[in-house]
Amino acid sequence: MTQPVARLEGIHKWFGENHVLKGIDLEVHPQEVLVIVGPSGSGKSTLLRTLNLLEEPSEGRVWFGDTELTDVRTNLNEVRTHMGIVFQAFNLFPHKTALQNITMALRKVLKLSEEEALARAREELRHVGLGEKADAYPGRLSGGQQQRVAIARALAMRPRVMLFDEVTSALDPELIQEVLDVMQRLAEEGMTMVVVTHEMGFAREVGSRLIFLDEGVIVEEGKPRQVFANPTSERTRKFLGRVLVM
Amino acid sequence: MSSSTKGQPQAELAATPAERRLVWLATVTMWVGGAGLALLLLGIPAVLVVGGVLPYERLLEGFLSPATRTILVTSMALGGVAILAGFTRFRRMPTKGSRERAIAGAVLGIQALAVALIVLAFQNLGEPDPFFRNFLNFEVLQGYGSTFLRAVMNTVILAFAGEAGGVILGLVLAVLLLSKRRVVRAPARAYVNFFRGTPLIWQLSIFYFGFSFGLGIQFSAFTAAIIVFILNTGAYAAEVFRAGIQSIERGQLEAARSLGMSYSQAMMNAIIPQAVTRVIPPLMNEFVILIKDTSLVVVLGLFAENYELYTWAREGYSSSANASFFVAAAAGYLAVTLPLIGAVNAVERRLRSGLVGVTAK
Repeated sequence: MTQPVARLEGIHKWFGENHVLKGIDLEVHPQEVLVIVGPSGSGKSTLLRTLNLLEEPSEGRVWFGDTELTDVRTNLNEVRTHMGIVFQAFNLFPHKTALQNITMALRKVLKLSEEEALARAREELRHVGLGEKADAYPGRLSGGQQQRVAIARALAMRPRVMLFDEVTSALDPELIQEVLDVMQRLAEEGMTMVVVTHEMGFAREVGSRLIFLDEGVIVEEGKPRQVFANPTSERTRKFLGRVLVM
Repeated sequence: MSSSTKGQPQAELAATPAERRLVWLATVTMWVGGAGLALLLLGIPAVLVVGGVLPYERLLEGFLSPATRTILVTSMALGGVAILAGFTRFRRMPTKGSRERAIAGAVLGIQALAVALIVLAFQNLGEPDPFFRNFLNFEVLQGYGSTFLRAVMNTVILAFAGEAGGVILGLVLAVLLLSKRRVVRAPARAYVNFFRGTPLIWQLSIFYFGFSFGLGIQFSAFTAAIIVFILNTGAYAAEVFRAGIQSIERGQLEAARSLGMSYSQAMMNAIIPQAVTRVIPPLMNEFVILIKDTSLVVVLGLFAENYELYTWAREGYSSSANASFFVAAAAGYLAVTLPLIGAVNAVERRLRSGLVGVTAK
């Protein structure tokens, strides 16, 4: 078997008294689309954010390839250039245009030349279908467009894995599909993806592996269609019964 | 008629002749009240200026003249009429606009009446002569024109240098204050608390006299003042910047860091540029305060060429025993601060409307 892209080993996370993650072991394999589902408050987002150490685990180890991120000697900034993340709240820089949102890190972190950065940024904007919005400020874009710019911004770093943290949850219903379409195309292009989502249709159609997380524990794991059709645990069955109104 | 008014434009509400008369009355009330106040605020200064400003006896003569008296009586009559008409009729006004005009007329009338009464009392019960001789005796200012202008310049230089240096110092201090490491935070916090917790006048004195006598480091009072203004403004600006940086959503820092930027890169490129626009109004307010606080350097004993407005006025006052210098100084301060205050309000309005368009969808 090939080496995992990322790996979590015995991860625990406490927020004060609140034990959010209770011993998570997880591997992310190349080119898979790993979907994480579960009730709100189950620790999905915390788990995802642990992968690039935006959330520091209270216990356990995080690996990216051969690099241990939980080792204080690791240069996190360098590692993070290989892991894109897209947030629920978009988090575009409001004082920069769509294009400048993308070129900022290309220039400052990857040290690309102005022309290289601009060329790559335009290419990624076209990739998400927003080539004509290059000079628009985020405030002038719809939620769906902002989220696609955010995806383009992450992709422009040419990451080896993309993390998606409930990226459609803040969107109006009619804007969700355009973002899911971009994600589906990424999956088809072979991008390794970890996706926290409430979109069960997307999970089933695009996901290659699914994890059901509840109260900080991985309760169930398997092929999405399999889990949806025959959940083995009672908790999974209950959760799916509530969300799968299809 | 109430049954047929639903959805009709308001102008058409005043349809009957009686209603049209009321609307007309409201407009007249507003103009009468306004005329009463305008007559006072423009008429009396006009009478004074036309009668002559120098020497002060001419000014006083104008103030006590029949013309001024006529203006006062007329204003009070206009104000009284507006108050009566406005307050007795505004409830019956058929449209919102006419109601507002009736109320405005009555309020303007009250203001005219109040101002006229104060002036009248001063004219008849007070002592206009010593007042005019001591405060509006602009003869004593003759020959002080160039020193006055230099004093205005020096005030602006002190405030501007203090603010410019203070903003830079404040930004550095704010970043230190926001450090997650206590050993970095603590000294910055101590500095800020010290400079916010002691009077500026004390800081000026200690710095100037303490350093020159204690350490034998010699600098002019003017230089010392600029340094202290920088140190002091830095402490206040640090808190303003800190609050501004903290007001930027957490997700902005996370987005920058997740792209591989270091903390300082994220601060420089993503966070601080956004924070700076948010803190412009409070920083400009600080600047207005500093302009006025430059007057505290009076305790240091400046050289004549370094006089700022307040020192200039006090020196003029002690050599002439006439407070008209302070009146002139007030004019100097207002000439600098009023445009700034206007600018702050304009910037605030623009940020308030502009930011909504930029950050929200």
